[in-house]
Amino acid sequence: MKRLPDSRKAKRKSISYAKWGYLFIAPFFLTYAIFNLYPLILTIYNSFFENYRSGLKQVGPNFVGLANYVKLFTPDANGTIDILKYAGNTVVLWLGGAIPQIVIALLLAIFFTSHRLNIRGQQFFKTVIYMPNLIMASAFSMLFFTLFSNVGPVNQLLIQWGVVDTAIDFFSIKITVRSLICLMNFLLWFGNTTILLMAGIMGIDQNLFEAAEIDGAGSIQVFFKVTLPLLMPILVYTIITALIGGLQMFDVPQVLTNGAGTPNRSSMTLIMYLNNYLRTSKNYGMAGAISVIIFIITGLLSLMVYRSLTKKD
Amino acid sequence: MNANYYDSRKAKIQLTISRVVVYAILIFLSVLCLFSFYMLFVNATRSNADLQGGFRLLPSNYFLKNLVNAWNDASINIPRGLLNSFIVASCTAVLSTYFSALTAYGIHAYDFKLKKAAFTFVMAVMVIPNQVSAVGFYQMCVKLGWTNSYIPLIVPSIAAPVVFFYMKQYMESVLPMEIVDAARVDGSGEFRTFNTIILPMLKPALAVQMIFNFVLSWNNYFMPALLLDKAEMKTVPLMIAQLRSADYSKFDMGKVYMFILLAILPVVVVYIILSKSIIKGVTAGSVKG
Amino acid sequence: MKKLMALLLAVVMVLGMCACAASDNTPATTQAPAATEKKEEPKTEATEAAPAEEGKVFNIYAWNEEFKGFFEKYYTVPEGVTVNWIINPSDGGVYQDKLDEALLNQANVADDEKIDMFLAEADYILKYVDSEYTQDITALGVTDFSNTYTYTVQAASDASGVVKGVSFQCCPSALIYRRSIAKDVLGTDDPAEVQALLDSWDKFNAVAADAKAKGYYMTSSEAETFRVFSNNGETPLVDGAGNLTLNDAIKAWQTQAKTFSDNGYTLTCDIWSDECTAQMFADGKTMCYFGPAWYFNFCMGNAQDPDKGCYGDWAICEGPQAHFWGGTWLLAATGSDNPTMLADIMDTFINDEEVCSNLIQNESQFTNNQAVNAKFAADPEYGNAFLGGQNDVAVFVELAKNIKFENKTIYDQLLTEGLQGYWREYCDGAVTEEEAMSNYYKYINEKYPEIVTP
Repeated sequence: MKRLPDSRKAKRKSISYAKWGYLFIAPFFLTYAIFNLYPLILTIYNSFFENYRSGLKQVGPNFVGLANYVKLFTPDANGTIDILKYAGNTVVLWLGGAIPQIVIALLLAIFFTSHRLNIRGQQFFKTVIYMPNLIMASAFSMLFFTLFSNVGPVNQLLIQWGVVDTAIDFFSIKITVRSLICLMNFLLWFGNTTILLMAGIMGIDQNLFEAAEIDGAGSIQVFFKVTLPLLMPILVYTIITALIGGLQMFDVPQVLTNGAGTPNRSSMTLIMYLNNYLRTSKNYGMAGAISVIIFIITGLLSLMVYRSLTKKD
Repeated sequence: MNANYYDSRKAKIQLTISRVVVYAILIFLSVLCLFSFYMLFVNATRSNADLQGGFRLLPSNYFLKNLVNAWNDASINIPRGLLNSFIVASCTAVLSTYFSALTAYGIHAYDFKLKKAAFTFVMAVMVIPNQVSAVGFYQMCVKLGWTNSYIPLIVPSIAAPVVFFYMKQYMESVLPMEIVDAARVDGSGEFRTFNTIILPMLKPALAVQMIFNFVLSWNNYFMPALLLDKAEMKTVPLMIAQLRSADYSKFDMGKVYMFILLAILPVVVVYIILSKSIIKGVTAGSVKG
Repeated sequence: MKKLMALLLAVVMVLGMCACAASDNTPATTQAPAATEKKEEPKTEATEAAPAEEGKVFNIYAWNEEFKGFFEKYYTVPEGVTVNWIINPSDGGVYQDKLDEALLNQANVADDEKIDMFLAEADYILKYVDSEYTQDITALGVTDFSNTYTYTVQAASDASGVVKGVSFQCCPSALIYRRSIAKDVLGTDDPAEVQALLDSWDKFNAVAADAKAKGYYMTSSEAETFRVFSNNGETPLVDGAGNLTLNDAIKAWQTQAKTFSDNGYTLTCDIWSDECTAQMFADGKTMCYFGPAWYFNFCMGNAQDPDKGCYGDWAICEGPQAHFWGGTWLLAATGSDNPTMLADIMDTFINDEEVCSNLIQNESQFTNNQAVNAKFAADPEYGNAFLGGQNDVAVFVELAKNIKFENKTIYDQLLTEGLQGYWREYCDGAVTEEEAMSNYYKYINEKYPEIVTP
């Protein structure tokens, strides 16, 4: 929508209406300051202190400077820096779920909006693919756990069909645990993304498609030359929100691996790591430091993704 | 002529093939999605002992018994839980969408000095995971005596950066400023303009975000678990957790699955009713580049 | 659609108002439901009128309804006192989180808001007993421990021997074996003969090989024997200086777990997993489980179901070493404004013969009253059909004598959970021994910063 014609008028009026701008955004910012900003600052403040519970006894808070951060980045005996390992896990798990999620969602969105294909029963499909989002992630994980357990139906079938001789222990093999987590996240979120992307495509001016067809463009060309560029803003929105959601991944791997991130902590995500410090010891010092690191990692990644996606503009 | 006929036949065959492929994909994905619901249902029809034996593909005959057991469980009051969850989730959904729209409108429609800074700020804080400030949030609530209160569960939803971002993108595509100007000429106050003219135009976006946020809040366990412990205040996920930690003599997974199923039903029903408007809504409110 | 939206909004707003109204009333209404429930019960006798100066509200923290059920059936609440149950699931540590918060805040709240009594499990009881937040119950008037089992009193006593609470149950744990498999492997299913063949770890391990040779599993999970070992450890998991010390008993379990897994004597899984419980069907191949009365009475669901075909095909004996598993203690909170009632409850559940008899007869409990237990053990009419008619109370009476509550720390629950989990990865072959232990140490550092790991 072009706002140019009346921008002169708006500018003249904007002087007198400016206070409404402040007024309208005030509740949001006020609430944010009280419920998020204050706790966030408290979290950052905590990260410079030794502060935990030993049983019912409180230890600290004692100012320790950057000691918590130093501890986080001290490599263990094998030279692994834990927090970086978990950051790596998180990114792998996110990509594994988010790439198919966005690709499939994009495909489905194109199918649904294609006049040529003219899909019947759209309402049904659109409802069904969103439905997994309604199940609690923890309940969903419980179901998957039964499905893929050593005595679960998947193993029963594999043995019956002669694919394997003994049950595959899906939860002690790195690649299968990770794949399951990715699959679950994909199932939970692809319907949601489809709905959003469909909206983007349907918003594109239909004349552009017709013009492209008249010019003799094939459907693949139309997609890359017309659809994709025009879809960019909403695609950026879905990718950024998928990124944020992915980096906050917690419920699915937590329940699926009983909080241990098996095997060898290869499915331990950053938030699971944070959660370990929050529980039991209430180690607010270390938890604060991890939070700050998570914030920095998330911020950098989002900025990178945002930049690389919007560069073409 | 012949060539044309041949071409159109070829196109027809191509179309049929692609249709078959597309339907196959859609049916496959739908089966995948529905399968988890089917499993939930099957598990809700099974006894606890039977559930310990692992997976079954066919329903058993414990459905009614589980339903009666869950409904009559003395430690949880299912209708009350559903009502509590509904109160929290609907208030959260309404507040987050309304105030996000208001904020997005404030930034979209008015020029003021801090406009750009405000937008950048929200975009920056959007990436901060909730769990990061959870500790401080919980400490604050305890200090203020906000345990066993819905205030800390509902009010913070006024500031929902992701919803704001969506509303902002949405307005950029569908909200012509001429309408606002016209309203001003008619002497409508700014706040009234927003409520009576702008909001109805955003209805599709509001519906989408309302259902998304309703579901998020409905399934939320983390914060409510820390803040609520009075039986009559508990929400559905807390009651499910309570069933799962029942003592060994009363532990009954059949009951747990039944309650999970019961907890999903209202959301599914609301979703199916609203889905028409959601899908239409998103469609109408598409975001243009 | 417009109408629907409007309707939805209207409903939401009304509910919102209800919610506000409800939360306005909270202080007044919170106790109301409990109060009305109580008053509806006809009071046959007021055993003991609370002295005038005692509080009118009795607050109990618990993580489930088990004790609440017994309390409401078998304890008569003094006239005018309202019992308020605050129940939080133990899932994710929520129960302890909230209990801790409330105890730390105990001094700052009104008398009627104070915790009077709370429940704790064996695995973390020391955290509360060894603190200033529980009080000496002998000072309150609970002094008769002649009938209780020594270990239950040890568990509720702090480092200097001050008793802070009681348990209403005793949980000696037995070796639960499948009779038909025992016959095949050992040539007998008689409890005394089976016991003679399995009364040491050497014998147990040797039999495991025989069982394997005949196509059976000795245990269904490598962690099943963990408690038998760890209950008999010579040193605590964490020493006085805060160092993690895995004693010989734990190391012996680690060796056994790995050997059993590698040789296929056991499945490798969590003891609560489907894989483990699926072995309790008629076609299950597992010979031995370990657990107290509550384990086979309530947790062996498949085996307990007569339709599944192995009901009655079970029996119990002591096994390689005496041990206990679980149990719930009632602890007296410091600052309680109902000391008389508090003492009366504790006394009732350990010394009232009628109540204890009811717990055995009606609730399948093994009580913390030796006299009552002995009565049932001597009763020739009593037998458990699930165990092929064996008198389980008689077995437990013997087992309970040998239980020790020693070398416990406040860290035991999570330290053992973590060890089992990370060691299982090694048993599975997913990681090396060094990796398993390194991950375990990381886990400890996250949970307990004060513990020094190697």
